[in-house]
Amino acid sequence: MTAATRGARIGIDVGGTFTDFVLSDPRDRSLSFYKEPSTPDDPSRALIDGLQALLDQVGLGPRDVSVLMHGTTIGLNAIIQRKGARIGLIVSSGYRDILEIARCRMPSSFDFHADKEIPLVPRERIIEIGARLSASGAVTARPDEMEISRVTAELQALKLDAAALVLINGYTHPDFESELAERISSQAGGLAITSAASIWPEIREYERTLVACLNAYIQPLIQHYFDGLRGGLTERGVTAPIVVTASNGGSLSAASAVDRPVETILSGPASGVMAAVRLAQAVDTPGIITFDMGGTSSDIAIAAGGMPELATRTDIGGLPLVLPVVDVSAIGAGGGSIVWVDQHGIIKVGPQSAGAKPGPVSYGQGGDQPAVTDCYLTLGYIDPAGFLGGRMKLDGDAARAALASVGTRIGLSGNVADVAARAAEGALAVTTAGMASALYKTLAERGLDPRGFALVPFGGAGPTHANLLAEEVGIPHIIVPPAAGTFCAMGAAGADLRRDFVRSLRLALDAGSSATLSETFEALRTEGLSWLAAEGGAKGETRFDRAVDMRYAGQAYELRVNLPADATTADAIAEAFHREHERIYGFRDTEAVVELGTARLAAVGITPDLPVPDLYAGGTAVGPKGERPIYHRGTWIPAAVYSRAALVASQSLAGPAIVEQEDTTVVILPGWSGRIDRMGNLHLEGIAK
Amino acid sequence: MKLDPVTLEILNNKLAAITEEMCLTLQRTGRTLYVKETADFACALAGLDGRFFAYPRSIGVSGFVGLECAPAIEAVGPLEPGDVILTNDPYRSEGLATHLPDLHMIAPYFHEGEVVAYGWCFVHCSDVGGRVPSSISPTNTEIYQEGLRIPPVKLMRRGEMNPDVRLFLDANSRTPDANMGDIRAMLAALAAGQRRIDQVIAQHGAATLLEAEEDLVAYANQKARSVLSTIPEGTYRFVDYLDDDAVSHLPVRLALALTIRGGTVHLDFTGSDPQVAAAMNIPSRGRPHAWLTLRVLALVHTLDQTVPLNAGLLGPVSIEAPLGSIVNPEEPAATGVRHAAAIRVNDVLNGAFGLALPSVMPAASSGTVIPVVMAEPNAKGGRNVQVVEPMIGGTGARQGHDGVDGRDSGISNLANNPVETVEAELGIEILRYALRPDSGGAGEWRGGCGMELTFRVLTDGTNVLGRGMERLLFRPWGRSGANAGEPGSLVVNEGMPNEHHLGKIDVLEVNAGDIVSFRTPGAGGWGNPYRRDPAAVLADVANGFVTIEGARRDYGVVIADGGVDEHATQTARAGRVAGNKEIAFGPERDAWEEIFAPELMDALNHKLLAQPLARRQRLRHEILGGALGRLPEGFPRKPATPDQAETARQALRAALAD
Repeated sequence: MTAATRGARIGIDVGGTFTDFVLSDPRDRSLSFYKEPSTPDDPSRALIDGLQALLDQVGLGPRDVSVLMHGTTIGLNAIIQRKGARIGLIVSSGYRDILEIARCRMPSSFDFHADKEIPLVPRERIIEIGARLSASGAVTARPDEMEISRVTAELQALKLDAAALVLINGYTHPDFESELAERISSQAGGLAITSAASIWPEIREYERTLVACLNAYIQPLIQHYFDGLRGGLTERGVTAPIVVTASNGGSLSAASAVDRPVETILSGPASGVMAAVRLAQAVDTPGIITFDMGGTSSDIAIAAGGMPELATRTDIGGLPLVLPVVDVSAIGAGGGSIVWVDQHGIIKVGPQSAGAKPGPVSYGQGGDQPAVTDCYLTLGYIDPAGFLGGRMKLDGDAARAALASVGTRIGLSGNVADVAARAAEGALAVTTAGMASALYKTLAERGLDPRGFALVPFGGAGPTHANLLAEEVGIPHIIVPPAAGTFCAMGAAGADLRRDFVRSLRLALDAGSSATLSETFEALRTEGLSWLAAEGGAKGETRFDRAVDMRYAGQAYELRVNLPADATTADAIAEAFHREHERIYGFRDTEAVVELGTARLAAVGITPDLPVPDLYAGGTAVGPKGERPIYHRGTWIPAAVYSRAALVASQSLAGPAIVEQEDTTVVILPGWSGRIDRMGNLHLEGIAK
Repeated sequence: MKLDPVTLEILNNKLAAITEEMCLTLQRTGRTLYVKETADFACALAGLDGRFFAYPRSIGVSGFVGLECAPAIEAVGPLEPGDVILTNDPYRSEGLATHLPDLHMIAPYFHEGEVVAYGWCFVHCSDVGGRVPSSISPTNTEIYQEGLRIPPVKLMRRGEMNPDVRLFLDANSRTPDANMGDIRAMLAALAAGQRRIDQVIAQHGAATLLEAEEDLVAYANQKARSVLSTIPEGTYRFVDYLDDDAVSHLPVRLALALTIRGGTVHLDFTGSDPQVAAAMNIPSRGRPHAWLTLRVLALVHTLDQTVPLNAGLLGPVSIEAPLGSIVNPEEPAATGVRHAAAIRVNDVLNGAFGLALPSVMPAASSGTVIPVVMAEPNAKGGRNVQVVEPMIGGTGARQGHDGVDGRDSGISNLANNPVETVEAELGIEILRYALRPDSGGAGEWRGGCGMELTFRVLTDGTNVLGRGMERLLFRPWGRSGANAGEPGSLVVNEGMPNEHHLGKIDVLEVNAGDIVSFRTPGAGGWGNPYRRDPAAVLADVANGFVTIEGARRDYGVVIADGGVDEHATQTARAGRVAGNKEIAFGPERDAWEEIFAPELMDALNHKLLAQPLARRQRLRHEILGGALGRLPEGFPRKPATPDQAETARQALRAALAD
């Protein structure tokens, strides 16, 4: 067998603690999993070492790998910690303050000590150039040789790693801007200059500037990382292509990722959601809400009809990002969120987090404020000896003592274990109510009802908390995937190739402009095809999704409308818009002129499905491995404890029960039942409140 | 408090989230720009006393936490399930509504035949009739010019819309369909609130809900008292001015005596000017009204981020707002642009609290919000009207922190418009949208820079509107030895032969090729500028917030060859005595108060308020005009000679003695 024909596909997720691997083996259509401790100083080391160990484990050689797929948080971390490259910005005359002014809003209306975000490029490294266009695409200021030389000289004096170029109305004529970027770059000794209009030709100068700046800011780091990774892999004999997962739920080649690293910023969260979406498809559940509960916070995403929602405005460390990304929203506390009591005796959870160091009290690393994880421990949800597969012993007594102190401060009395348990249950009730409130709001924005969805929990604490949340919100069905920790790696291994293309039009919708729209889509499709070909994805199945931002004339907001393939006439396009407007806003206005804004095309190269494991068929049901008391609504009740690895398909469990697995613990509340399907998913079903 | 700490915190979260969910429903189903884009709306939940026990934190208008629904509820009499009250009348709703375009609605939420809470919401609708489109103009002199007044009435009776009310509404608006769209969105929001309240009752019981309503207000009250009790006790006096009232050139004076005692705050506005014959009166009805207490709310919230947002925050606040003054006008005063005066009320509170808490409170922010609007002739013979940019300035510096450049959420936190979308829709070329170097007040901590917007007009016969221009005369003040910020300005065709410096405009007529430059004021600084770290001055110069000349002139820092010239800086700083003023108001206000001294103005306002409403304005113009007639043209920008000053003072004293 050679890599070129049918090699092994490997998905990798680089987490803060572990680097997870999933290997899809074409010999027997099986999946193998592996975990390697992460090496945050140089993530590629754990990746290379873990890959080697995994290949040894399954008996494959380096040449048997057909493709490596992984996400990266290098870009995101660099942006949040402001540790990216030293970059400059060249901008049309009169707009040196584009990043200082931004969209003029402060992060808080109430807190007059709040500061605005720190601009990605300080004003001293922003250079104005006498170049710009009009809204209709005419060049109204063209820089001559002298002007370009002046800008180049100023640029060189700044000693930059990279730069970005943005012209006002540049989106109307991307070639003008990209040619200027090339001229300046070649005069400046090949300095990498990202042209905003080339990378993302969408109207709105501030947002487009940020796309370009973010790209330039992380490009040198990403380039360095992939160069190092490629070199290291080659040394081990692995020559398979590297594919990188993207924020939009798709993936792109390493070469594309180095060109446009801005597309990879949120690849981590997107991979988890995409894995959940594929899982939901496999079990024929069209509507899911993912629930990723980690150490510091919990995130949700909504997928209805088998597609995750995409957002075109996300916050990245205080900066808006307008590229389409899988829409993930934070809904509150994580396992490390601190439980505390204010001076008026009211219990609070978060927003402060104990993080990984010192961590919750039970970690025994010096944390003295109890966290949500300490509550799980105190209530009997998790086994102090079984955390992280037993690699980390937790101190249950310390957690209890800390929570008993919280209990005393909110006026509870009695024996320590009892007071601690009541405080812990109270803290979790507060946590759950906070999450539920945020989830309701997210659903209200979209006019959705939670009862029509299944909850798919992952992350370290997601499966532990999922039943509490589902019961509070009224979600009747929870699907816990087989391996919560390697879930994101699964997501990476199954990712389609995908890139989004845009072009802003701003035309009134009529026969002429609908023809222009068709031409625009055709041009974007050609771009998409050549990109897919370059990525090596054009040979397989491809798909092109079209959408366009539209509005009624005079409206200040636009609505993104997905266009069916046959909607090409003005009437059909208008009808698609009216329908969507009615769905979201409750009315249509057939009298009004409809305007076309930004045309969007997603080019997708479809990756074959991962093999579905059927490891659980035909096994014999094994009973619980033991029993332990859990605290529920004020009393201790016995709960059967199962080992996830021993559960077999079609086995049923009755709550209260605990299911322990290597990287998480599933809690099944009284009144809920559990069932394992053929693929190893654990379904919890119950009567919601 | 009656509830246990866990249930209280759970309901604290849930009830606040319900108000946000109501807002999201309103925003999703609302029709107009005000709802979709500027989010000029809000929803909340009121207890049986008509005061809010839950208010949204992250969406909608932030400042209306202190509004009271009780007078409007009492006005309509007994309520039944499905009834909804509508009102927009500041006088008959006792300050629930504060200008006519704000449509307020209240729905009783029943459980087993008893009211358990009220849902409330408001939307700034497009038009309620009146003299001008959109109903608001600063030059309206009476509320009758501002459109249809809707006293509290039942818009909905047992779930059915009252057809008579509907007829009145439709007949009195230029945009009846859009208004009805917004009204339906409000009804949807109120219904969403009812559903969630039902759910809370199903889960926790009605008795628990009612206890939570009281407990949450009590809890916020306790928290506010805890914060306020850290402020040194005493009475702190502060005065600030609006440049003018939009219909005359006379400044408008706002005076405050703030008394802090035992965790309570008393705001006494005695000495503030009488109500004006323009639309900037604040109809507080003498209550601790939202528009007069916004800064107290912000202070409590800044010092304790965990406070629940509800009426309890204002529990420790009492107020004295003389009837007939600009902060408590008598009917029929116009109130359309009451936010213009509220911006300065905010400054007065900020200044007074600053005397008590010098290390917490910032210097004055730029204190202006100008929606620069362009109305250009279109092909159909009408006009395209659109906001170019909402112009604001920066925030004041405070101890240890520079002010924020080009942002200010003190009154509103509106987003600007992308230049590219503006240019796509109007005949305009925006040449410069930038911060103003050297505009932030120099200090050990620098005030935030103001902004500049310069554009070329591309269509003949275009009108430019700049309502809300302020601080062109009286500067944003500096604190603790720092300078005031630079005042704002408006120039047409700057640097060209036909250059014009304009003051405040209502409507400016321009033609193709004209270049218009709006500049907003910089904010006040904090602390002695000669003590500012030269490295910080160097960084400001490198970044262009301060010029090399400004560094030398305002900070005594000499910059040469991209670095600080240590020796020259030492010499420059040694020769200068820092401004030692606790508050630096700038030369214009100093000159003004040299004639129109605080004690004379207090006496004048006392005298005026004793006069019948009809005589007040005329008398004020006579007395102040008489004194101004003895001063040079352009005063107080152009100082008076000692002789002129003395004659003017004598004229003033004589008039007061009458």
